[in-house]
Amino acid sequence: MIDAFLHAAIVMTTPILLAAIGGLVNRIGGIVNIGLESMMLGGALIAVMVSAQTGSAGLAILAALVTGAVLGLLMSLVITRLSANEIIVGLGFSVATAGLVRFFLKSVYGVSGTYNPAGVAMLPPIDIPALHAAPVLGAIVSGQDALTWLAWALVPATAFALRRTRWGLRLRATGAAEATVRAVGLAPLTIRDASTVFAGALAGLAGAHLSIGVVGLFNEGISGGRGFIALAAFYFGRSSPWRTALGALLFGGFDAAQIRLQGHWIPAELLQALPYAIVIAVLTGLGLADRRAERSGRMG
Amino acid sequence: MISALSALALGLAILPAGAAEKPVALIIAQGGLGDQSYNDLAYSGFKKALAQDKLEGKAVESKDVVAQAADILRRASDAGFGLVVDLEYSHGDPLAAVAKDYPDTDYVILNQVKPGANVASILFQEQEGSYLAGALATLVAKDASIKGMSGKPVIGVIGGTKSVGIDKFIVGYIEGARAVDPNVEVKVAYSNNFGDPALGLQMAKAMFDGGANVVYQVAGGTGLGVIQAAKDAGKFAIGVDTDQDGVAPGAVLTSMIKRTDVAVETVMKDYAGHAFPGGKTVTLGLAQNGVGLSPMSHTKDKIPAATLAKVDDLKTKILSGEIKVWNAVDQGYPPFFK
Repeated sequence: MIDAFLHAAIVMTTPILLAAIGGLVNRIGGIVNIGLESMMLGGALIAVMVSAQTGSAGLAILAALVTGAVLGLLMSLVITRLSANEIIVGLGFSVATAGLVRFFLKSVYGVSGTYNPAGVAMLPPIDIPALHAAPVLGAIVSGQDALTWLAWALVPATAFALRRTRWGLRLRATGAAEATVRAVGLAPLTIRDASTVFAGALAGLAGAHLSIGVVGLFNEGISGGRGFIALAAFYFGRSSPWRTALGALLFGGFDAAQIRLQGHWIPAELLQALPYAIVIAVLTGLGLADRRAERSGRMG
Repeated sequence: MISALSALALGLAILPAGAAEKPVALIIAQGGLGDQSYNDLAYSGFKKALAQDKLEGKAVESKDVVAQAADILRRASDAGFGLVVDLEYSHGDPLAAVAKDYPDTDYVILNQVKPGANVASILFQEQEGSYLAGALATLVAKDASIKGMSGKPVIGVIGGTKSVGIDKFIVGYIEGARAVDPNVEVKVAYSNNFGDPALGLQMAKAMFDGGANVVYQVAGGTGLGVIQAAKDAGKFAIGVDTDQDGVAPGAVLTSMIKRTDVAVETVMKDYAGHAFPGGKTVTLGLAQNGVGLSPMSHTKDKIPAATLAKVDDLKTKILSGEIKVWNAVDQGYPPFFK
């Protein structure tokens, strides 16, 4: 029972974590990406289409990555080059993509909302025989797919890249002091665009995880607001990939938990609101702690 | 939008005179024609009725069917349609308001009851079809000779949201399950979302892990994940609303079908025969063929004939009135499901 729960928690964390890492990098570069949901949806659809056409999950993932990246680039250009408001553009992207996906399904496949072709190649789970039988650990690490591994590998990689590499420094500088970046002869807008492309690519992968990693079909609601949950996760994590991962895990874990707790003693409605309530509580706690630290810093 | 509506008005002008009744409009709901589901099913009944009852009429599709509710209804009424059948659930209140202004036009709304002498409300007895689904699920779960079944009376149901409209299905399902085995365990969960198959898959997986053999989905797009989970686990799902047996052939035990085509056909026939049930609520259950189980074309061979006969027997008892299935919408919640 606990094994099944842990496994499900990791599975449900993956799309949130992928998108949240992208969103985190994007935010450090200076854009709060509200459009992650749209890139996730686009990636999910393309992954199913390519997977059914070619029978290759690898190509499907690649296509989802590119789709997310292209959507990210489009959104970024509107924000950086046309100086549009990032919130409005991000929301607009989410709404417009949902509409376009619906239109596309209707006009190309003649279906409404759901695309369930035959022959979708699923992303294979990676079994680790040595650990498979191990309690707890086996359930967590064995039988997860490549995108889950990628998501977790990105956590230390992103932390390292942001802190220790030239690219990380440039990205942080672009977000924090655009004029300085410009003064040293770099192009902050291009760096910012690159961070949105990265976020888009990861959100596209998150979509592919849902469509060909979990269910094997596409539905217009498949992203299920996870792009916005990712937003909450990277806000929760502020600039730390580790804390962002913790936020994503919190959401994924609660989703997996509420499924299993339902029907026992807690009302379903309450359970479903719980992750959000906890995030508000934690954010409030963090805010208060920050303020206290600031105050004591001033006194000291 | 405007052009579509003026086309609608023009369309009326070219309708041939001489038809016995004023023409019929069928307002298509969200999802539109081609949804292979609700709208298409209703439309097929509409076309059949047009031919059978020698009526004129047309389907009205609109891009913004929810926001333009009153506008669409008024235009259709102004265009001279004698009967407006509205498939869109969110049109309930606007329809009741518009109907007041057009006493000479008849209106039909589905899945809800709205007032007005010229308004007919159609309700489905989903609990009756769900009762049969619950009975079948339990009998199949207890039969270890059927591949994948544990032989224990453990089944599940996943609803899209915790509401009385969904619980109507769930209560019927549980009642049917208890009718064949009072010790049955029915796991109940709500996805709080009608469009998230990944969530539906995880929820169903948790139920199958917990020993459920058959899981009934009443959760729209989320339910597609339930069907997928059944396929993965080698268990059964039960589909809803339309015949979903073909979504994953062999993994969908049956589907609890709501015959919107029968609903539209019935009410149009009444209209053509000058017996429009204005101001009344028409309930379509097993007896009217308004709800029922799918033909089970992919699973029938796997199920012992005695099991199918038992379910048929329950159906006969419902038809004869010997069994009255609990209707959570009218009767509130039963003692066995709080």
